[in-house]
Amino acid sequence: MTADQDATTAPAPVDVLIVDDHLMFRAGVRASLDARVNVVGEAADVDSAVEAAHALRPAVVLLDVHLPGGLGGGGAEVARRCADLAPTTRFLALSVSDAAEDVVAVIRAGARGYVTKAITGPELSGAVQRVAAGDAVFSPRLAGFVLDAFGTGMGDVAIADDELDRLSAREQEVMRLIARGYTYREVASKLFISVKTVETHVSAVLRKLQLSSRHELTRWAAARRIL
Amino acid sequence: MTTTPGPPPAPPQAASPGAPPAASGAARPPLLRPDAGRRVGGVCAGVAAHVGIPVRTVRLAMILAGLSGVGVVLYVFWWITIPVGDPHVAAEESRPAELQRLARRLSRERWTFPVRDVLAGAILLAAAGILVAERLGWDVNAGWALPVLVLLAGLALAWSQLDAAQRGRMLSHAGGRTPGSMLRLGGGLLLVLVGVLLLVGRTASTADMARAWVAAVAVLAGAALVLAPWWLRLVRALGDERAARAREAERADIAAHLHDSVLQTLALIRASADDADQVARLARAQERELREWLYTDRAVSGTSLAADVRELVGQVEDAHGVPVEVVVVGDCVPDDASSALLRAAREALLNAVRHGEPPVSLYLEVRADAVEVFVRDRGDGFELDDVPPDRFGVRESILGRVQRRGGTAVVESRSGWGTEVHLEMPRAATRERPPAPSPGPRTADVPTTRTDPAEEAHA
Repeated sequence: MTADQDATTAPAPVDVLIVDDHLMFRAGVRASLDARVNVVGEAADVDSAVEAAHALRPAVVLLDVHLPGGLGGGGAEVARRCADLAPTTRFLALSVSDAAEDVVAVIRAGARGYVTKAITGPELSGAVQRVAAGDAVFSPRLAGFVLDAFGTGMGDVAIADDELDRLSAREQEVMRLIARGYTYREVASKLFISVKTVETHVSAVLRKLQLSSRHELTRWAAARRIL
Repeated sequence: MTTTPGPPPAPPQAASPGAPPAASGAARPPLLRPDAGRRVGGVCAGVAAHVGIPVRTVRLAMILAGLSGVGVVLYVFWWITIPVGDPHVAAEESRPAELQRLARRLSRERWTFPVRDVLAGAILLAAAGILVAERLGWDVNAGWALPVLVLLAGLALAWSQLDAAQRGRMLSHAGGRTPGSMLRLGGGLLLVLVGVLLLVGRTASTADMARAWVAAVAVLAGAALVLAPWWLRLVRALGDERAARAREAERADIAAHLHDSVLQTLALIRASADDADQVARLARAQERELREWLYTDRAVSGTSLAADVRELVGQVEDAHGVPVEVVVVGDCVPDDASSALLRAAREALLNAVRHGEPPVSLYLEVRADAVEVFVRDRGDGFELDDVPPDRFGVRESILGRVQRRGGTAVVESRSGWGTEVHLEMPRAATRERPPAPSPGPRTADVPTTRTDPAEEAHA
């Protein structure tokens, strides 16, 4: 994630709820976040996270993918049960797991992005701010998952923009560059488009990932070894 | 086949056959019928092991007793009541769990007497003999023979379930209730019922028979009703025990893994606590391994290019202590061309972690027609023309290696932006190409690629 895109704006701190079942990790995240973020609460399991989100109404919930409690659905369950808070409270998935099915599940449940726990404090703060502003936050790894999930390796390209089951050629390009480690700004300059346009593409991809009924999305993880 | 009961090599104090173990009073093996070393049902071998006398003596005594008839009854009684198991192994297992070894003990395969086949043959022969005798004019009163035969067959069928040697095998196949064991029980019951009724009701009228039927079924139903709770509890306890055993095995597996990996790494970290770089490296390597173990299904080695790439990146991370973000899209079975691509990618990655600045990323995409690799770093960049000609790193081991196999390689480097190496290797083309017969030694794969012209010539 990039901090460079956030230097231009200096808005009020973003209210954040940290949801993770490890006290040490919550403390670490709290310490690493900078002044752009204001931690309003913490929760350790599914039920208390849903409760805290409804009580505190934070702008962003930092959501661990693997959580105890509830019906066993982890972070995805929290996001689903907080769907009624939709426009004001947004979710950013934070995971130590590299497993695509875990991450894609929480994105499809409504999270606006995914970052790994190896992320640095300033990067995380920047990501929180972008999610609060309504943008999607794609780490290279999530971009890779998306490309995998939509079968873009097989040259499957959407013709119309509103097609849910496939990415457009431009969206694929953007996803590829993000997967290659480019920041949004670098993607913009490489494709000769504005950062805002990049963000539009990324949001469109996120929407497709959340809404698509493409059958691969549910069983692609099993099939990805067979090419 | 040896005549000794064949004590397994596990308990060293019981090594000398025949002679009872020194501490036989304290640690006497339980009374079990061993699978190994049995002649018929393993009764003699089990008794011999339990009492601590040579099996030959027990067998002789049993045969002598059998002549009088008592021995047969005793043998069958023991056969039915003594459970199957290896007495020595059972004695070992009764020790506390933490003292036991984790690995399974080896067992020996032994030839066993095919009791059931012989029994079936004998019954068939007897039936045939009766038929032949009748045909020859002897007045065989066969009226009782058939019911008795049916009765015996039913009993044998039902009791044969208790021969747990086979039962255990069936259980392990089907995880408990097999159709075979149910069929056996049902068939046995039916045969016994028919046999008893035929035997008892040979001279009775139909009305008496019917009444006897009703009475028998009522008694059976009553008994079943009374015994049902006990039976249910037994079944439930068995299920619980099985689940507990599965959990135990799982825990042992996890404990072994934690010991092999995490514990060792923690010890290494403590040993090199003042070396921050080394600690970070160890922690990162351990984290990667643990994450893989926890969250991913591992592929069989040699079948997944994605797994190979991750392993390669892990090696580079460990060796240089620089984190690398690796993203893989798609997967395929590695072949010659993709291996060359990987080696080139490794060189590019090594350059990135040595000369560039983090974050370093590696992106690999497997498409239908080609495999692409991008290696990106955020260093100051460099000019390819500025690299002295005697440095083979970029030109030969990265660009040359890919280009020789029909791929393309592009290096993009700008000051302040970093360096990106883009490698692409066609897939379809590499499939059509026959495996190149290499005339010279394949030294071209070693990073120092001064012998490359030879490969270039044939490629």
